[in-house]
Amino acid sequence: MAEPLLQVERLHKRFPVAGKKGALLHAVDDVSLTIHAGESVGLVGESGCGKSTLVRLLARLLDPTEGRIVFDGQDLAALPAAGFARLPQRAAIQMVFQDPTDSLNPRFTARETIREPLHLLTPLRGAQADARVDEVAMQVGLPLALLQRFPHQLSGGQKARVGIARALGVSPRLLILDEPTAALDVSVQAVVLQLLQRLRSELRLSYLFVSHDLNVVRLLTDRVAVMYLGKLVEQSESEALFRAPRHPYTQALVSSIPGQGPRIRLVGEVASPVNPSPHVCRFHGRCPQGEDRCGREAPLLQQRGLQGAHLVACHFAS
Amino acid sequence: MSTTLQPPLLDVRDFSLEFRTRSGTVRALEAINLQLRKGEIVGLVGESGSGKSVLSYAMLGISDRAAKVTSGSAVFGGMDLLQADEPTLATLRGREISMIFQSPRTALNPIRPVGRQIQDVLRRHAAVSSAASADLGRNLRERAVQALREVAIADPESRINAYPFEMSGGMCQRVMIALALACRPSLLVADEPTTGLDVTTQAAVMDLITALARERQMATLFITHDLALAADYCDRIVVMHAGHAVESAPKGALFANPRHPYTARLMTSTPGPSSRIDGLVPVPGNLPDLRRADLPACRFAERCDRVSDRCLGERPLLDAAAPHSVACWHPLGQPQPVATPEPVHG
Repeated sequence: MAEPLLQVERLHKRFPVAGKKGALLHAVDDVSLTIHAGESVGLVGESGCGKSTLVRLLARLLDPTEGRIVFDGQDLAALPAAGFARLPQRAAIQMVFQDPTDSLNPRFTARETIREPLHLLTPLRGAQADARVDEVAMQVGLPLALLQRFPHQLSGGQKARVGIARALGVSPRLLILDEPTAALDVSVQAVVLQLLQRLRSELRLSYLFVSHDLNVVRLLTDRVAVMYLGKLVEQSESEALFRAPRHPYTQALVSSIPGQGPRIRLVGEVASPVNPSPHVCRFHGRCPQGEDRCGREAPLLQQRGLQGAHLVACHFAS
Repeated sequence: MSTTLQPPLLDVRDFSLEFRTRSGTVRALEAINLQLRKGEIVGLVGESGSGKSVLSYAMLGISDRAAKVTSGSAVFGGMDLLQADEPTLATLRGREISMIFQSPRTALNPIRPVGRQIQDVLRRHAAVSSAASADLGRNLRERAVQALREVAIADPESRINAYPFEMSGGMCQRVMIALALACRPSLLVADEPTTGLDVTTQAAVMDLITALARERQMATLFITHDLALAADYCDRIVVMHAGHAVESAPKGALFANPRHPYTARLMTSTPGPSSRIDGLVPVPGNLPDLRRADLPACRFAERCDRVSDRCLGERPLLDAAAPHSVACWHPLGQPQPVATPEPVHG
């Protein structure tokens, strides 16, 4: 397999809880993840599970508490987030945000939006920068006539294209896509998904694809990591994960996809992420299979089964 | 065979509504026909801008002030909702017709405990004369606790004092449901009740709504853009496009034999559990601008590959009483015999 592009090693992020001394919210807890060059990895999990914090750590918008983020051989976690915006590594990791309306400056035309990162991160200026804007606009299928429009003059699909073009201008190697189609109608979503698929092969990009919509994740990724309450609980090739999920949480998640028969119902509420016990499985109490052992010993993310790389953090996974 | 069917609880006929705006008249709904029977769960499916929410708001008489009804009737329990005056509607809303709004966090009052908000609804519709006010207070509190218990909120006695910000999105949506169902309405309108929730929470919320609907024989109009979700929970699905209802069918018939080209395209553009990325076929073009004076009679005509001259000049209509009806001059497939839609009882 290709060499790793991004290697996340034992990454932690703990936030202090306001008003409670010594209370720490474990948003990301001991997460290790590898993304290879040209690979598309999906990240799924419920809201509040730490997906967004992990994404913000990788995009270096937040400083990790512990751990390493090795990108292309260099540890980015050692570089402070505050100055990261001007470093050349910023260009290599770019992000496409969730809501195309909220993430575009309403007072910038599409051209200005796409040109802004070029001024910050590349030596391109003036006509050269404009030529680059035209180039990426064509790559994402945005008619050049629309470049002078403001966001409110564009449709949802066109705004999504502007968001993607802005990220592509500086020639990134890793694109972090945070629910890129959640705000779009299905007919527009289909077009944007096909665009993302085409761009990935044309530009040999790696994707970290974060989404609620498991059907969309399955379409666009090679591998999927499932997160629950700050921890990765399962990691596997996409097809295998959706066909035969092994962690009880993933099983419940996959069974909740609409349009496919009986659901595994989860009872109870998610445990608190504040000062969680290191000896209790995070899914304990909500898990249909939970036993005493799960309350005494937290399972590690390990290889299970014989074929392929299928990691599961559960005592009972076969 | 239709004579044995009970009359519809809600019967919308030839309903048109427009918005008068500075930039022109938006013809948001045009000649809508829709029927809902007791105990039936009907999905209203379409892209944003198709008029789903406008239609549901009109049923509750909470349309925007710029809205103007230009034709039609919506008969509910023998009364035309479109002609009813505000005091009449105010006694119906929350008691006979209830609504679950899209984003529970913004729909709930942020500075009022959730139990209070449920009591507000109960008090508004309670028969105050029958009980002394002290008793009424205790009684209302008990009923609010009971309402929270019915939507499976753990420890309802203490949760009634919680504010919306102290609850998760899924919990807020449960409160919203408790609020809507507190007076046991006979018609529930659920406007995208699970948008923004996780799939596991979505399944729990939808299970809850449909279980309560079945239990109470409540007619439910379920508005969603998610065809697969509608397929899981509805008896019948009505597809909307640009202010027209274009197809109405029991869900099995709709998926087995979609007859409107728009319905078929909607299905091929939705990623399913076994679809492939190259297999997705998007709907071509965009929704037409509903302010245009030269809108084609069939509003899908400009996006359709089966279009003919007839589509531009003559509007195909839906027969709301037929089991599987399509508003199209050139429908796909062949008409199949459809079992009369019988709402599931019990």
